[in-house]
Amino acid sequence: MKKLIARDKLPELWEALAARGPLYLPVQEGPVVSFKTWEEGAEANLEATATAVSPKDVFLPREETFLQYKSDGTKLELIPLEDIDPVTVFGIHPCDLRAVEMLDKVYLEQDPPDTLYKKRRENTTVVALSCDRPDPFCFCNEFDVDPADAPGADVMAYLRNGNVLLEARNDKGRALLEQAGDLLQDGSAESVEKKEVKTADFGLNLEGLPENLKERFEDPAWDELYKSCLGCGVCTYVCPTCYCFDVEDFGHEREGQRFRCWDSCMYGHFTEMAGGHNPRAGRRERVRQRFMHKLRYYPETFGEIACVGCGRCLRSCPVNLDIVQAIKALGGETVEQR
Amino acid sequence: MSSANPLMPQQATILDITEETPDIKTLRVVGKDGLPFDFMPGQCAMLSVPPVGEAIFSITSSPTCRECLEFSIKNVGNVSNALHCLVPGQQIGIRGPYGNGFPVDQMKGKDLLFIGGGIGLAPLRSLISYCFAHREDYGHIDIVYGARSPADLIRKSEVRESWAEQPDTSVYLTVDAEFPDWDGHVGFVPTYVSELAFKPEGKIAITCGPPIMIKFVLQALDKLGFSADQVITTLEMRMKCGVGKCGRCNLGSVYVCKDGPVFSLEELNALPAEY
Repeated sequence: MKKLIARDKLPELWEALAARGPLYLPVQEGPVVSFKTWEEGAEANLEATATAVSPKDVFLPREETFLQYKSDGTKLELIPLEDIDPVTVFGIHPCDLRAVEMLDKVYLEQDPPDTLYKKRRENTTVVALSCDRPDPFCFCNEFDVDPADAPGADVMAYLRNGNVLLEARNDKGRALLEQAGDLLQDGSAESVEKKEVKTADFGLNLEGLPENLKERFEDPAWDELYKSCLGCGVCTYVCPTCYCFDVEDFGHEREGQRFRCWDSCMYGHFTEMAGGHNPRAGRRERVRQRFMHKLRYYPETFGEIACVGCGRCLRSCPVNLDIVQAIKALGGETVEQR
Repeated sequence: MSSANPLMPQQATILDITEETPDIKTLRVVGKDGLPFDFMPGQCAMLSVPPVGEAIFSITSSPTCRECLEFSIKNVGNVSNALHCLVPGQQIGIRGPYGNGFPVDQMKGKDLLFIGGGIGLAPLRSLISYCFAHREDYGHIDIVYGARSPADLIRKSEVRESWAEQPDTSVYLTVDAEFPDWDGHVGFVPTYVSELAFKPEGKIAITCGPPIMIKFVLQALDKLGFSADQVITTLEMRMKCGVGKCGRCNLGSVYVCKDGPVFSLEELNALPAEY
């Protein structure tokens, strides 16, 4: 099913979709574009290359309350909070959707499935947006992502001059387009131009990298690599494939809630145990953990490097300690043949 | 229940609390209808005391005990302190069991050498009780247990009386220094293990204690001729989820909460030494 909508009619589409439940889309706020729940008057920006933070929080929210407790001092009542609204996410780029599929392996495929994530995933209709304007930091081609097409989308959207073409890829996608009703015009005669979108070539050679890293846990490269790290954790917050979380209580002795929230392996307290022992006490160990997890440990379990080349760590790291630098320092650079 | 949120605890009630040492208490815990879940020795459970939070503890009782779960807990952090402040009758949250547990089947037919230090006896005690309940499956049992002082030995009467009286079992106790009320062995656990000169043939050594003790016990066992596949230990890491997702206990491509906490020395040697 293919439908068309004029670009100036999009706010009406947002309104219609938001009536189904929360609608997430890239919203311009000052200089920053982030995925936000749409509210009337919000300035959607479908032109932005990458949002500052990845849209992973649609499926793995920054904070998520899942339990309410009540206590009379003796009896403890534990009430699960699991109502999750149907959600629409509009404008997720193919790289970011590919990253969600990497989270799926951890949260859905690896036993036991994470029920909170599972419900969000099932209750979300994904409208992916074909990307034809990579910036100099984008390198998703390196990870076999096609910026123009997201195979995991329910609806694929294409920005065109004056209109947007919406192509439903499955029942969930068709249901979404049907719900928008008269707002959409028939687009069955429209054809989707296959475009080849080239992203940056940083001269990486990922062939055999996870395997080679088995011998590089004590590599001297780590002694240099970590030095510039500020330990700010921004890489983990913006990264679409980072998925570590914390679980905390909020409340007092009589009642309160338990929530989980994003956490970061870049922080010292992450692994600090009661009593003070910390297996990854220094920045060197923590920087190594983050890159080894992306480049060696995750691939060892799931068969692929946990990076989609979205470029966010390149754009955000205040000291340019990004995954490209790490890959190069660890022997993943193409060596020119003379 | 496979569709239940794995982070969701169930209610459990404190049956009673025994003060083992100045900083260790044993809590006996029961679920709504008896045991909250089935488990194997070496597995762990998340205990929660809202609003303080949740932390992971090894189960001290044996699965052959059907009345309750026992946890011997040292007061070292926020949650353990909150657990120490509880009184019988109060309810807590519990979820589990987590982890792989000890390889009780692989250990069958072998002589067993247990080496524990301080609170490290907690997970070993589950396995020791299990082996006594299946006495015919295992050969000779040696238990070496030590602590800083006589007051820091946990489950003293059980160790000295009921364990020492078990058939084909030897118990060796030690404390780090001389104490007026102590006429037993004096010296560190690893040194005592070397002195006792255990023969590795047909034996499996299982050790748990403070990291520094484990380090020297492993060296002592190596000198006695134990190979890496004859030595088993159990790791402790910070954990939040217990199901291999939150990332804290990630060690190489394993998660200690689900792939451990029990590892043979052979397996440990293949992992980054970040524990």
